Amino acid sequence: MNIDALINGLPGAAAQGLIWGIVAIGIYITYKILDIADLTVDGSLGTGGAVCVMMMLAGYSNGMSLAAAFVIGMVTGLVTGLLNTVMGIPAILAGILTQLGLYSVNLKIMGSRANTPINPNNYDLLVSLRNVKNVPFYENAIFITAVITLVIVAILYLFFGTEFGCTLRATGGSEAMCRAQGVNVEFNKVVGLTISNGLVAFAGGLLAQYQGFADVNMGRGAIVIGLAAVVIGEAIFGRIFSNFALNLIAMSLGSIIYYLVLQVVIWRGLDPQLLKLLSAIIVAIFLAIPYFKGKYFNGVILARHSGSEKGDAENAGN
Amino acid sequence: MKKLITGILLVVMMLSLAACGGDTADDDSSNTGAVYHVGVCQLVEHDALDAATEGFVDALEEKLGDAVEIEVQLAQGEPNNCTTIINNFVAGNVDLIMANATPALQAAVSGTDTIPILGTSVTEYGVALGIDNFNGTVGGNVSGTSDLAPLDGQAAMIQELFPEAKKVGLLYCSAEANSQYQIDVVTEELTKLGYECTPYSFSDSNDLATVATSAAENSDVIYVPTDNKCADNTGIIDNVCRPAKVPVVAGEEGIASGCGVATLSISYYDIGYQTGVMAAEILAEGADISTMPIAYAPSVTKKYNAEICQELGITIPDDYVAID
Repeated sequence: MNIDALINGLPGAAAQGLIWGIVAIGIYITYKILDIADLTVDGSLGTGGAVCVMMMLAGYSNGMSLAAAFVIGMVTGLVTGLLNTVMGIPAILAGILTQLGLYSVNLKIMGSRANTPINPNNYDLLVSLRNVKNVPFYENAIFITAVITLVIVAILYLFFGTEFGCTLRATGGSEAMCRAQGVNVEFNKVVGLTISNGLVAFAGGLLAQYQGFADVNMGRGAIVIGLAAVVIGEAIFGRIFSNFALNLIAMSLGSIIYYLVLQVVIWRGLDPQLLKLLSAIIVAIFLAIPYFKGKYFNGVILARHSGSEKGDAENAGN
Repeated sequence: MKKLITGILLVVMMLSLAACGGDTADDDSSNTGAVYHVGVCQLVEHDALDAATEGFVDALEEKLGDAVEIEVQLAQGEPNNCTTIINNFVAGNVDLIMANATPALQAAVSGTDTIPILGTSVTEYGVALGIDNFNGTVGGNVSGTSDLAPLDGQAAMIQELFPEAKKVGLLYCSAEANSQYQIDVVTEELTKLGYECTPYSFSDSNDLATVATSAAENSDVIYVPTDNKCADNTGIIDNVCRPAKVPVVAGEEGIASGCGVATLSISYYDIGYQTGVMAAEILAEGADISTMPIAYAPSVTKKYNAEICQELGITIPDDYVAID
């Protein structure tokens, strides 16, 4: 219970936070950019973990396995997108349906086993809970995930800067306006969901390596953790960062903060039965921050007039 | 101004969370002379796992008394939380980690290759840790106890009680790796004895009633392994199977007392206690964990549920003990 233990625990929390940060970036694309609450992630995270672990067990390289996780994850997003656009099912229900179906798919991917281990003693893992301290920096899980995150942010930044990327961003802002401009809104939504779930599944693959197993339940609560990261990132860095790439990095930082807080809570030795309640409280507090800021402080209203239309839309949306 | 408000809210939140720490945690044992610090990571709150943790704590306190300080953390059913908890233990440099259930063990093995790890309530270590040609000793920094009940004995029990039966339905939760393993083994054993086995797996408690009904309609006897979801929902199984007059043979006592007619039972308290004894040997007597084989439940008992047996008109042989 001494402070050393907390400090020693921080690198592990940071690594875990960075991996979940990739999930948060995926969720940012759907929740913030497309304005869709996509619940597919609870399933696609597990899909990514399952695909990655099974590929590695079959002898494929780490890179191949993670790439496969990414591609299969994109397929899960595609399914949700098609359910939503082609079959006209509301987005939130479409996500729930895909997530439900993915449970069986994930079990089948792992050969009907609910839990598949990937033992760090026998496999050359990219990231592992073991490798957060006392290893050369290029093997350090924090360093590796940070680099991966930066690469992902760079690619997304370039992508969302293209003409198509801009219409994608505009889709969530005002669908009617976009349609009036001749943008194929349905197609954009499908693409957004596909990219988002690809990223989530990729993070699932990293997470499975980090924790040493893929489990059919590993995606349980992923949407809550991911949303928490998005909300925390927005609440703290939303006004400081205006650049799109920095906004994505804010998601990663939000996720790290979430895990640091959780680490403090566990380190503090709380009644362990309260863990989920406390997770919910952390999310609720950060969700409330933008609302309170809008309600009780004039500064925000001034900021709106000075051209921060994005924050305005968010406050209205929340 | 806005940043300030955010900052203040953050600080308030951190403090309020920190204040949530229970009083028991405030004993600051760093100066009370505790020599050994042990971290327990338990996957989910549940009768069997709770009993194992209780047995572990009892054994350690009996052997080492005040010299040991035990911190129990619960992952509340989310495997992801195990990683956070284990990270905390490793960071606190505990002297030993006790991992209660499979994902907890896997997270612990990922977390450290130096701190001794003892597992419990894990059915098959070779499967849980992906070890080929598992020979009974994990080696390295890992050992522990298994909750495996003798599955051949359970198959023999079905034959002893229901020699006329032909079709056995196997009811279990598809999310539990332990259950799947037991179902595979028990199917093999029962097929050898001439039974026809059909698996009935459900994904969570919402579809349990439907799956159990279908199992009851198509089976003469139902077998339930040591499955956490079944253990949580014995009421549902009982409500389906008793009216259908289909007897349930269970993998452990908790399930048998809720919905079964009989079980060949192991005690989770006993395996937890055994794990505690191993921990004491490692901590105080310097035993080498890498040579410790996985231990199994010290004894098994044939037990029956008097109420359900009477209602279904099943005669139980004399060597069975009634469940209280």
